Amino acid sequence: MARLAIGSGIRALASLLAVSLGAFLLIALMPADPVMIAIRAWNLAPTEETVAALRENWGLDRSLPERYVIWLTGFVAGDWGLSFRTGEPVLTEFLRRLPLSVGVGVSGLLLAIALSVPLGLAAAQRPGGFADRFSRLIAISVQAVPAFWIGLVAIWLLGVHLQIVRPFSGGPSIVAIATAIIALHSMGVLSRVYRKDMLEQASRPHFRTALAKGLSRHQALWHHCHRSAFFALLAAVRSEAGWVIGSTATLEVLFGLPGISQFLVQSIAVRDYHVLIAYVMVVAGWMLLMNAILQFAMRRLDPRHA
Amino acid sequence: MKGSLLLGGLLMLLLLGGVWQPHDPDAIDLLARHATPSVAHPLGTDHLGRDLLSRMMVAGWRSALVVLIVGAIGLVGGSLLGTVAALMGGWGEAVIVKIAETFIVVPTLIVALAMAAVMGLSPTSAGVALGLAGLGPYTLLSNSLTRRLLGQPFVLSARAMGAGTAAMTLRHILPNTAPVLFAYVGSNAGQAIIAYAALAFIGLGADPTRPDWGGMLFEYRMFVFDSPMLMLWPGLAIAVTAGLLNWVFDPEAVPAAT
Repeated sequence: MARLAIGSGIRALASLLAVSLGAFLLIALMPADPVMIAIRAWNLAPTEETVAALRENWGLDRSLPERYVIWLTGFVAGDWGLSFRTGEPVLTEFLRRLPLSVGVGVSGLLLAIALSVPLGLAAAQRPGGFADRFSRLIAISVQAVPAFWIGLVAIWLLGVHLQIVRPFSGGPSIVAIATAIIALHSMGVLSRVYRKDMLEQASRPHFRTALAKGLSRHQALWHHCHRSAFFALLAAVRSEAGWVIGSTATLEVLFGLPGISQFLVQSIAVRDYHVLIAYVMVVAGWMLLMNAILQFAMRRLDPRHA
Repeated sequence: MKGSLLLGGLLMLLLLGGVWQPHDPDAIDLLARHATPSVAHPLGTDHLGRDLLSRMMVAGWRSALVVLIVGAIGLVGGSLLGTVAALMGGWGEAVIVKIAETFIVVPTLIVALAMAAVMGLSPTSAGVALGLAGLGPYTLLSNSLTRRLLGQPFVLSARAMGAGTAAMTLRHILPNTAPVLFAYVGSNAGQAIIAYAALAFIGLGADPTRPDWGGMLFEYRMFVFDSPMLMLWPGLAIAVTAGLLNWVFDPEAVPAAT
């Protein structure tokens, strides 16, 4: 177990390194120069000295490999560079914004898992019954409707019609709505995966044995099929994790939530290199961390799983 | 069957939007702002008095274009990479598969977001970005299909009869992998519609003079108090298009890429 953990840790570090190199190159080679954008934005005179001074100040006068090494050593030591736009340390800004983004994403996913199990179980209990049709309806509709439109409709319904929440305020009620939307979407997918695997297990001999022993269908499903179905559900969470980042981004834009994706949107237009690469690293880190946690949980559930 | 007919009808409507609209979609008429639906403006007008139906039709054509580009890249690029990898075998295949697996973990929308910000958001750039970012699963699927086919008796006998690699691939492998890949393209089409809407909604690099369903939702979100109908129609268009695509090409019925 320990050897495995070390091995996957090394692999994760290697992929982080590869991602950082790729992202660094991509960002540095983007068309449009942050110096020229800044000079225009701040109404500076575009003289040779100003350009050279800014370039030197931001470390852009060095060669690419040098810049990468400087950035990487700083990044590892916790110095993520200064934002070109605000002049503030990028790490501080991220630490301020991360709790909101991660909080919405993680609590949305956890809520979805917590709701998917009873819903999937009820759907597997009576295939074709009310719970089954209800979960299918949710699954089909969330796959056809973008998260931000559900958000807009929620604003209209709760904010304009019922006047319970203040739209675009970024208050706690808005965060709750964003979390609920994430949970709703993931629940649609996860409950179907859970139900499908449960029904597959229910067609196996061991399930019939359990029924023959005198267990009710509900008991037999819970005691003899839940483990495998939950395993399938966790595997689906892995692919859902990437989607959660994307829709958190659109929800942050819609509701004006000060998360990291909103920061990215503000930074990309002015080519704020340090913010862009920090965002890529945070997203890659999130994906790798989710992967590791889920892999660990899946191994606990089924030790045969490689 | 019913679904295919409906989808075909919708497709005709989207194609029509590329060549003809009832009004000039950009014609501003400040005297007719927020007009309610009428014969002249079946869906009413927006906050600048532009005809909503005309804007929706142009936007629909642009969405359809994205789906076509994403599908073409997935189909062609995926079968090319996957099949070539399977034919090569050895470490060449291992490298391609490893890269494809890494790409699966990368969030497609974020990659496309960055690419659109750099290249500007148009159906072409978004289609290329979404297509390339989503190439991983296609490659893995076509790779595993080809590998399975390579062990089948009819492929082995073709090889025993002296068929070259190119002839064998064209005659025996691609005709058998293509239908599955097509089904996979179909099952992803709905997602492509939604992903493009999300990109246009976030609006990085978007051209504000060109209407998109997602961009319209962003533009009209502030009128949720005064004329909520404005944000109803683009959302409904996305939902109906994506829903129909998902219904006809059922994503749950398609084999996963493993």
